[in-house]
Amino acid sequence: MEHEYIIAHADKSVLKISGLEVNGLNTKQLEQILADKLHTFVRVIGVTGDNIEMDVYNIEPDQVRKNEEGIVKSIVLTEGITVTDLTKISCSDKIVEVDYDSIPDEPISKCARERWMKR
Amino acid sequence: MKSAYILPTGDEIKSGIVLDIDAPEIIRQIVRAFPQAEVTRLCPLLDVEDTIFQKISEVVQKQPDLVVLIGGSGGGHRFSKSLGKDFTHSALEKYLDEYASHEIYGKNGHMWSKLVCGKKGATTIINVPGPFDEAKAACEAYLKAVSKGKNIEEISLDMANAVLAQYPVGAAETI
Repeated sequence: MEHEYIIAHADKSVLKISGLEVNGLNTKQLEQILADKLHTFVRVIGVTGDNIEMDVYNIEPDQVRKNEEGIVKSIVLTEGITVTDLTKISCSDKIVEVDYDSIPDEPISKCARERWMKR
Repeated sequence: MKSAYILPTGDEIKSGIVLDIDAPEIIRQIVRAFPQAEVTRLCPLLDVEDTIFQKISEVVQKQPDLVVLIGGSGGGHRFSKSLGKDFTHSALEKYLDEYASHEIYGKNGHMWSKLVCGKKGATTIINVPGPFDEAKAACEAYLKAVSKGKNIEEISLDMANAVLAQYPVGAAETI
């Protein structure tokens, strides 16, 4: 059995849109609409009935926050999304790089970043 | 290839909150490569490891040539409370006797995707990520690798590289 680990070096932030009504969402269409709007690469990573989480790559979180109204207007066009008065956007800071050489082997956590922080 | 089963996973897929656009794409690819294959999309499964394990066992008893699990390939709930539960890779690791796997991690230490390719008897079982572009790329890579007669280690590597190519990655390293 072969098991290999690949580390991908990419800058991303997590964009979360809450207060939605989601049913029958076409994730591909949403990614394309937001990619066109933000001029960057977007990937849907989590969906519930009222919120959507996405990875957005190579963009400053402030740029997303300043563009909140435009983003909400653009996602209205997506199949399976209904915007409500409660709809709002939040965007995390960019991911923090961890030093893989300093991560202990012991399974304190399944998350390498947590193991790195607790080393 | 004579028969294949497509097994979508995810609470959001089963409930219809998210439209399953991956399964039709994977069926299209398999039919294009193997026009005579019978390809069946099964009812989506909830993100429960034992449920996924049991369903794989049940499907493999029908002795298909291929089973493709869709979604649940990341770290999911292990890294973020707000994300779904990702169990397809762990269910496959428990079920398969022989397999190869590749894990793609972000530089923040979070596992973005774990792809497993293995055999149980005469059946090949693979998983692909849920995001459409990644599922499409992984399946294309699998079918291409099979057409070249590659073994499961080579197939797994090709699938991982195909998924990695979907990220805007400045660099990548294998450890």
